[in-house]
Amino acid sequence: MTASPRVTLSRRRFLTLTGALTAGSLAMSAAGLWPRWALAEPDLASRLLRLGRDIYPHEAIEDRHYLESLTPLLEKERDEIAAGLNDLDRRARAAHGSDYAGIESGAERETLLRKIQHTPFFAKVKGNLMMGIYNNPALWPEFGYGGSSWEQGGYLHRGFDATPDWL
Amino acid sequence: MSRQFDLNDDSLVVIIGSGAGGGTLANELAQKGIRSVVLEAGKRFTMEDIENDEWGMFNKISWLDQRNLVGPSRLAEDFPNLPAWIVKGVGGSTIHWAGVAMRFQEHEFKMKTLNGEIAGANVEDWPLSLEDLEPYYALAEKKMGVCGTEATGMPFHGKSTHYQVIEAGANRVGARCEQAHLAINTVPFDGRAPCQVTGFCMQGCRFGAKWSTMYTEIPKAEATGNVEVRPNCMALKIEHDRDGKATGVLYADADGEVQFQKARIVAVAANSIESPRLLLNSASSLFPDGLANSSGQVGKNYMTHVTGGSYAEFDHPVHMERSTVVPGIVTEWEDNDPSRGHVGGYELEALHLGLPFMAAFLDPGAANGWGRQFARSMENYSRMAGFWICGEDLALESNRITLHPTKKDQYGLPVPVVHKADHDNDTRMRNHAYRMSRELFSAIGARHVNDLPPYPASHNMGTNRMHAKAQDGVVNQWGQSHDIDNLFISDGSQFTSSGTENPTLTIVALTIRQAEYIAERMTRGEL
Repeated sequence: MTASPRVTLSRRRFLTLTGALTAGSLAMSAAGLWPRWALAEPDLASRLLRLGRDIYPHEAIEDRHYLESLTPLLEKERDEIAAGLNDLDRRARAAHGSDYAGIESGAERETLLRKIQHTPFFAKVKGNLMMGIYNNPALWPEFGYGGSSWEQGGYLHRGFDATPDWL
Repeated sequence: MSRQFDLNDDSLVVIIGSGAGGGTLANELAQKGIRSVVLEAGKRFTMEDIENDEWGMFNKISWLDQRNLVGPSRLAEDFPNLPAWIVKGVGGSTIHWAGVAMRFQEHEFKMKTLNGEIAGANVEDWPLSLEDLEPYYALAEKKMGVCGTEATGMPFHGKSTHYQVIEAGANRVGARCEQAHLAINTVPFDGRAPCQVTGFCMQGCRFGAKWSTMYTEIPKAEATGNVEVRPNCMALKIEHDRDGKATGVLYADADGEVQFQKARIVAVAANSIESPRLLLNSASSLFPDGLANSSGQVGKNYMTHVTGGSYAEFDHPVHMERSTVVPGIVTEWEDNDPSRGHVGGYELEALHLGLPFMAAFLDPGAANGWGRQFARSMENYSRMAGFWICGEDLALESNRITLHPTKKDQYGLPVPVVHKADHDNDTRMRNHAYRMSRELFSAIGARHVNDLPPYPASHNMGTNRMHAKAQDGVVNQWGQSHDIDNLFISDGSQFTSSGTENPTLTIVALTIRQAEYIAERMTRGEL
């Protein structure tokens, strides 16, 4: 599980704080390099983080990668995303008597998500996460994927024909 | 650099498209002293544009003009605007192809004779045989540098780890398996480097080891002084005279200005969606149903191969991406054996996707491909091996390209609508391929095998098919239109049937043969 950030600034209050130093020090101390929008709205960010980690659950990947994946979406369509999350919470309360993030069972959260997987909200969040998680060279080592290889002369002399000893 | 020809020069062959068909035709004609203008809708890329980046290259080189895909298929649900995964640029889809260069089998030219009428399908024999095409296959293999062939004597690539895993599974279940015949150099050839195994064949070969008209046929053609390539030029309409003879091509140039290039001969090589679309868009009072369409077959019989994927997860590392994209092929089920429950054969082509594309195609579609099982599979990426299924797709009249009644593209042309549905035979074949793949992988200890649905088609065929009879096909055995002598089709849309093999080698062989025919007819004053 990931730790929730202990940041209680309101969005409005945060926006009155200007300058990279403030944002930077908050990021380092409280939230581990969260993107700016997430620091401004930590509640929204935490809920999206729960959702993101249910769409692509990878223990080894840090929170910030999920959040950074969503930055372009939040910059363009913040209100639609917030509305989508509110809808998800409404469905969660109706089915489980708790907000989405409060449902303890991952399987139950996934079942609930299956009911909204055809919505534009879900598709947008998923689409952005897919690019941010799987098309992110910084994360490729986690998956054992080599990425661009031509700069290193490909694999011709780097084991393309290694014999799998397990066969 | 290209030589420049005058718009009013009516002695030229005007070729539409610069891929396997168009690029090859331009060079073959140029070497015989025949002059041509190549109209290419896309831009000219350089080797420095080629990156080892799946999404980056997809966005850079793909044909992304508006298209509608309809039909009762998961493909239409998952990719409603992307029926085909092909390239827009000088070199066409030879920039993107994986380099698999296989000859058709003898029986694949005679599918109707072999299997009789198949209900619900529109299967016909080709007007030529394997024997007719064999010398041209040899010329194509030599031109392209196909490894593992007599024509080149070039050795195979050697067995990548991915191939070795597949081969072990094939051996375990007694299935025939061999290294792939690839038009990818294994030794320096034709002024190009040997393969360095970047693993990114389908993003364009950074080293030029893979044959592509982008850096072989096109520059060779230009060097003769007989060819002018005009990039960023979109053909709009083929014009004709009162006698129904093609007179030239109306096109939008790089600045969006409409130009008319006169022609002695017009050759259409724009791939199987755009080629019939252009003929349909060229309808006139003389040809109200579109050019070369007295048979009514233009746009029909759209075939893509029966495709799908099978990716197995093991307990041990494979690193399939450290390989040519297609290192080998299980050919066991490539024959026509109706006792399997389907006519026609299929290949299981070992093929890797990078991590970004695996995420996109493991369970594609906006609503799919997420959750715990999906994430577990992705975490197993480095322990995966897999196949792309490539099987014979039956011709159906109802699988076809039509023009949208209202929607227009950026050139003001009606958007193409692609209707594609499975014949029962296709479904049975795909299911057989899934089952055999699963058995093969399970035999060497796969923990989990993923069946992948088809993704947008890179093999597009049949929409201007060859037939001996003018009432049953659009072109004759030389790709010459039955209706209009000086109008040729020079791409995969000529195919009467799809075969199970990747189409590029056959397109090139047909094109070499077509160039010979055009040159002879021109010499005799018949064209």
